[in-house]
Amino acid sequence: MCGIAGVVFKDKKLHPVGNALTKMLDALQHRGPDSAGFAIYGGLGLEENEYLLNIEVKEKSGLLESVKNTVNKATPIKKEEIIPSVENYIIYRCKIGLKSFSELKPLIMDIDKIDDVIVLNGAHSFEMIKDVGLVKDIASRYDTRSKMGTHGIGHTRFSTESLVDRYHAHPFQSYIIPDITVVHNGQITNYWKIRDPLERKGHIFETNNDTECIVHYIADKLSEGYKLEEALEQSVIDMDGPFSYIVGTPDGVGIAKDQLGLRPGVMAENNEIFAIASEEVSLREVMDTHDIDQISPGETRAYTI
Amino acid sequence: MSEFIINAEHQPPREVNRAIRKAAREYSKITIKNPNAMHYIAAGLVDPIELVIDGSAGYFAGTMIHGAKIHIRENAGWFPADNMTEGEVVIDGSAGDGVGQGIYGGTVVVKRDVGSRTGEIMKNGTIIVGGNSGFMSGLFMMGGRIIILGNISDDAGESIIRGAIYVRGSIKSLGKNAKVEEIDDEDIKELKELLPKYGFKLEDDDYNSFRKIVPRSNRPFYGKESEEG
Repeated sequence: MCGIAGVVFKDKKLHPVGNALTKMLDALQHRGPDSAGFAIYGGLGLEENEYLLNIEVKEKSGLLESVKNTVNKATPIKKEEIIPSVENYIIYRCKIGLKSFSELKPLIMDIDKIDDVIVLNGAHSFEMIKDVGLVKDIASRYDTRSKMGTHGIGHTRFSTESLVDRYHAHPFQSYIIPDITVVHNGQITNYWKIRDPLERKGHIFETNNDTECIVHYIADKLSEGYKLEEALEQSVIDMDGPFSYIVGTPDGVGIAKDQLGLRPGVMAENNEIFAIASEEVSLREVMDTHDIDQISPGETRAYTI
Repeated sequence: MSEFIINAEHQPPREVNRAIRKAAREYSKITIKNPNAMHYIAAGLVDPIELVIDGSAGYFAGTMIHGAKIHIRENAGWFPADNMTEGEVVIDGSAGDGVGQGIYGGTVVVKRDVGSRTGEIMKNGTIIVGGNSGFMSGLFMMGGRIIILGNISDDAGESIIRGAIYVRGSIKSLGKNAKVEEIDDEDIKELKELLPKYGFKLEDDDYNSFRKIVPRSNRPFYGKESEEG
């Protein structure tokens, strides 16, 4: 089933986005207990060409050192942190500097070659937090409530086809252009029709998950010069199946819903906040409003700051 | 009239519904405070009580009720009054997809806009929408009436078999087996008797602007038209 949520604080200033999304996702917990995740934009405060890597590492003697050696070979680690997780894994988080964004994906692929290690993401303008389990547990583990930002998206997952693990938790990220994320409720039934042309263009798929397909599709469109709204509108034409998904970019969030309207989506806004979610119960966590808009079949909405 | 108040805050739907059923044996009016868009409120309620939901309800509010009068003071999610057999559900705000899905009787009123597939597979009863209604409203409708005071979106009356959809505003497109007819004096009389009961104040010109969507054929998929209806 899955629950999706997104929130934008319109004044571009830092707000407790992590706390807002934690409440929104907790209210959607009944839509999926398998995993949850957040992409919180605008609060990392990294210098130009600095990136934050989140790396899942099995608790095994010497493994973390191998990871650090691989990273240090490419670029010196500037800052690091270890976050305990579950099932004998830790999340190793480190800040690095690169000459350009184009070096990020090759470095991630190098680290991924180490057995029992997988890079969950690397980002410049947003903080990715995703793990298996319930929203409240993940929120405590990663202290999501304290995270500041301008906007963000989140997800609570009821897995259907692909694995229940940290990597397959949403948001998914694309590296075609920097810092594009997607959370998704539904299925893309013409998955291969969407994926094939993207692969022929050289874009790398790490999973068979349809959410990864959406995020590469949107990133590809944005890289071609589409505006977020235009990319969302085109996706509704190109993609089949029941879906509603939310995109996060460094500038805002947007939602698209399939042409038959088979997955839910609602939105509300006031002078301060633009919010979208699977259900009203989630919106009410961040906004006291009586005006809830149903996202219509085939409709898209976006807000950029 | 005796009234009972249930505070739904921090309670799961199962507990709230258990409390409603218990109170319905002794009280004729029950108010749910702090519903916070909770799903399944009053599911399966068969007591003819008055139930006020003092806020928004989530999915399937009043599903399968028989006889209760439910007043939702804010919005409702998907499928309010689903499969109702008798009773009334009035929603002061907006509602999601599938309003009045499969109802056999009773009346559903939404004061503002609703989502898609309003009144799908409804067999009888009445659905009134104060605003606009979305895609495929009246999908596989098998009886009853839907009254839309605003506009109706694409594929209106898709595969409608029986019943009628009255629309005051624009009809974006018709679904298969649907056609538009002008309304007659009997229709206007019926609308004039019904709509003011739920607070919709219309002028004569407004009533005259209604059209109705009805089936082209009662046997659109198989058999001969003459075999039925």
